[in-house]
Amino acid sequence: MIARKKRVSEAIGLDVGSTTAKMVRIEDGEVQSRITGTHNWKDLVNGIKENIISTGYFRNSVPHTASVTEITAAIYGVRHYFPEADVIVDIGGQDTKVVDIRKNNFLINDKCGAGTGAFLEFAANYFSIGLDELGLFHRRAGRIPDINNTCGVFAISEMISQLVAGYSKEEVVAGMHYAFARRISFMVPEAETIVLIGGAAKNEGMVMALKDILKKKILIPEEPQVINALGALKYFS
Amino acid sequence: MHVSKIGLTALVPPELIFACGGEPVDVNNIIPASKKYPRNKLCAWTAIWKEMLVERELSVDSLIVVAGGDCHNALVDGQKVAMSGIPTHFFFYPFDGDPEYLESQLYGLSGFLGGIKFPEKIKQINDLKKLGQKIDIKRSRGRITSGEAFNILISFSDLRGNLEEFQKNIASIKEHSIKTGNRIALIGVPPIFCDFHDVAQSLGLHIVFDELPYEFIRHRGANIREIACDYREYTFARPLDFRINFLQKELEKRKVDGIIHYTQFACHHMLEDEIIRSRLDYPVLTIQGDLPGNTPQQIKLRLEAFREMLERL
Ligand code: SF4
Repeated sequence: MIARKKRVSEAIGLDVGSTTAKMVRIEDGEVQSRITGTHNWKDLVNGIKENIISTGYFRNSVPHTASVTEITAAIYGVRHYFPEADVIVDIGGQDTKVVDIRKNNFLINDKCGAGTGAFLEFAANYFSIGLDELGLFHRRAGRIPDINNTCGVFAISEMISQLVAGYSKEEVVAGMHYAFARRISFMVPEAETIVLIGGAAKNEGMVMALKDILKKKILIPEEPQVINALGALKYFS
Repeated sequence: MHVSKIGLTALVPPELIFACGGEPVDVNNIIPASKKYPRNKLCAWTAIWKEMLVERELSVDSLIVVAGGDCHNALVDGQKVAMSGIPTHFFFYPFDGDPEYLESQLYGLSGFLGGIKFPEKIKQINDLKKLGQKIDIKRSRGRITSGEAFNILISFSDLRGNLEEFQKNIASIKEHSIKTGNRIALIGVPPIFCDFHDVAQSLGLHIVFDELPYEFIRHRGANIREIACDYREYTFARPLDFRINFLQKELEKRKVDGIIHYTQFACHHMLEDEIIRSRLDYPVLTIQGDLPGNTPQQIKLRLEAFREMLERL
């Protein structure tokens, strides 16, 4: 355990999560980042001379000078872009974390797959489309069927029933995004500004559904997937 | 002489069991280190002791189930044990703290156990509880690890069935000098993980207060009347207001920096979380366990993040 306030100069932030690995370095004030699959994390640090500040699920399994949890890293990363943020919603591959910055409080859902990136991947696989196509499908939907199940596995059976009932693939995808967003909204406290990070923040269908349900301003940093790597770096610099 | 082994499902005055010539066994104590995966379960604590008793993997001559003022899962699983043929007595604490009611419960219990035969045991146990309080103070001052202190304090529910041996166990505790940087109160039912206190300490969280074990060393009395008048303040059996007022004073006394509220899957105490959060003015980390074993990674992540959070304040 490294003493918290010890500053580390010449460093990179490395976030090795359950599905992807991200690396961030700040050069002349510019945030530069790279993303790869978790198992290829080594590609991100090959030939690196700087100190590594790690975070993410595998933070203690990769070489590092210091490490910090994703929860704290998220706060420091988000503040870089949005110093006034109240609440962070971080939708990762295996869990969803909600951090209330004002109250110094956090919630993690890692028991149920329904509110995690794994569920979106599962749904995309079912329709044989890429994760990045879910947003496109959502925009094409004319109606939004009700999908009430909060369990990921049963939500898929409900989606199948809605297809049988005559809804289009696009509509069922939109319904699925609403079910997903509803699940996450239960974790989100009252707040003015909510910052959404993690891979799922790139899915505009999910973001639209979340905005509609929370009725709050949702901010998304330009590259939402690398915020924790950036935060790890900033925590120690 | 045959000494009857008396299983206990929660806090029952152990002084009365010893005084009646029985050897108490808190049936929960073997659970954190057990590898049992119960078949039909809500809370794993009751499900595991129920299964072990029904299948006679845990041997007791009779069982005392703390039902009223404690746990309805225990009330149901206790009846399953009774149906399996083990003599079982149901013990009820008064929600309103009525000492007469508790006294009558204690007389009923003593009748079930055959009456008081060794009144001198009561004083012996009271003296051991004083030693327990010393251990509690020492760990809060960083002179005993929280893991060692917890192992002793949690054992005060049955004094490991043997007063002389238990006294030796207490005497053998080594003193250290531990930095108690992040002072934590662990409230709720005890974690079902066997290494929780050591894990917390290794992650920079020093547990200076264990809510339930503290109840085990706090109540006493020289006879049934006095025991009733003191145990009626057993906070877990009383209304939440009573418990929270008590906690407020204890946490202040111990200069706590944060609270870990442990909850057990399918336990009604989980419903208390929002009240605890709103009424106790400290950072609160709520965690939940289900099956016994080592502290899972997901819980470790929460502990580590909580420490980072406390250090940011
Ligand atoms: S953890 Fe809750 S449900 Fe389980 S035995 Fe204890 S009080 Fe009962």
